[in-house]
Amino acid sequence: MALRQRSRDEIYKELTDVFRDVFDDNQIDLSDETSAKDIAGWDSLATINLAIEAERVFGVKFLTTELSRLKNVGEFVSVITQKLGR
Amino acid sequence: MLFNSLHFLTFFPIVLAAYFSIPQRWKWLLLLSASCYFYMVFIPKYILVLFALILIDYTAGIIIERAQGRRRKRWLAASLIANIGLLGFFKYFNFASANLAAFFSALHCGFVIPNLDVALPLGLSFHTFQSMSYTIEVYRGAQKAERHLGMYALYVLFFPQLVAGPIERPQNLLHQFYERREFDYQDAADGFKRIVWGLFKKTVIADRLAVFVNEVYGNSGAYNGAALIVATYLFALQIYCDFSGYTDIALGVARTMRFKLGENFNRPYFSRSIGEFWKSWHISLTTWFFDYVYSALPWRWYASLLFVFLLSGLWHGANWTFVLWGAMHGFYMVVSILTRETRRRMVAFLHLDRAPVLRKTWQQLATFHLVALAYVPFRAKSLSETWAIMVKIFNFSDWRLPLHFKSDITGLWIALAAALLLGCIERAQRDAWGSISFPGKPPIRWVVYFAMVLIVVCLGKFEAQSFVYFQF
Repeated sequence: MALRQRSRDEIYKELTDVFRDVFDDNQIDLSDETSAKDIAGWDSLATINLAIEAERVFGVKFLTTELSRLKNVGEFVSVITQKLGR
Repeated sequence: MLFNSLHFLTFFPIVLAAYFSIPQRWKWLLLLSASCYFYMVFIPKYILVLFALILIDYTAGIIIERAQGRRRKRWLAASLIANIGLLGFFKYFNFASANLAAFFSALHCGFVIPNLDVALPLGLSFHTFQSMSYTIEVYRGAQKAERHLGMYALYVLFFPQLVAGPIERPQNLLHQFYERREFDYQDAADGFKRIVWGLFKKTVIADRLAVFVNEVYGNSGAYNGAALIVATYLFALQIYCDFSGYTDIALGVARTMRFKLGENFNRPYFSRSIGEFWKSWHISLTTWFFDYVYSALPWRWYASLLFVFLLSGLWHGANWTFVLWGAMHGFYMVVSILTRETRRRMVAFLHLDRAPVLRKTWQQLATFHLVALAYVPFRAKSLSETWAIMVKIFNFSDWRLPLHFKSDITGLWIALAAALLLGCIERAQRDAWGSISFPGKPPIRWVVYFAMVLIVVCLGKFEAQSFVYFQF
């Protein structure tokens, strides 16, 4: 459980860097509840850029339908965790 | 009925006056009857097709809301099949049969499907998409199924946006038919300003430019690359002023009756990337494709993007030229996403971040030229003509502009001066959505508005030329 928790934290940290890079904003801090409403410019196109960066950083692959189901960052982290655990 | 016709000029004031004179409980019926009349001016019997569609989607909505499990999916599928089937039958049957015939003839197999001799019901692509939006939103639980058949029919038929959008979502439009509406001076004034602004774009710019574009593109073999380049630039201006002008009139007409329709354009030719362009051009269609098609595709992003853009091309017309237009935009999008990091490094290397104005101008020019290049297949009649025009455009040997246009050159200068004015105004309204309002105290403002009406009346081309997007 502790290991799982830590890896989720690590994912969070790396995902925060991905978000900061894509939105060109070093002030971004993520939480489980962070959603498209909270970050200016987070639309379908930005989601593609986020996915490409996340794919590069975590070495996983996403499908369009998986990404469009995500409601917030918490769910994004869960999908990455799930993919890494496979 | 065309917005830029005398017919509409009499129809609209009558409907508007009646709308605010009758009791609230009859307002929907007046709007519905007016909308049916508006539609029936084109081809009366096609209203029956629309009624059938309305009945199917109305029933599907109620059943989807009540049912559980597979039954919901089945009724959603039934609604989608009815809409897409109808669109397919009227819009794509001949295209599909011609392509199948060509395919079988290539295999030396005599297989002939007869062509259908039917006209495409006006705006079918727009209201089938709006109808599908309703059943999908009910299925997703984001919209309650409408119980009042008349109100649902009005959602599909509402005349300001019936033939060329904006493609509305039920969450934005349906509830507005129930709201109490009394005349409001500000809304009426805003609405009329928007109508005049739309007429200015359509009659002074789009229809005047169309004369030259039609002359060159109508006989592209006779013109050199320089003329074709100019005609393509002019077409870019024409189609924007035509479609966004139509949208301004639609939104303005709705606004006078205190309805708020969604915005469809946000200064697209000032976009700094293709992605930005698609966020500001025909917004209601782009969001439709992204929300309902792209999001459901089980593919990687680039495959989904390309597919959606190909589909969007096909939506515009049953011709490979539109598919090519969609493919070009899909390709632009994929390449622009893939090269994002490289372009960012290049900006840092060239220190372009220190010259933001230069960088922005370059991005806007590059985006506009990519968009303009894709208009070649959009405007050409066939793929072979597209190819011939492209070859001439990229053959930089002949730069002389032919000066023997048949059309009246004064019209072109009027349109270009008006387009320049439009560009300056759009540039000045930094964040405003297409709405137009001038600063200054009432007397000065009124002079400006009066001048605008005068410009439209004196310089507009009122030959009831149809809107480009009506054919889709």
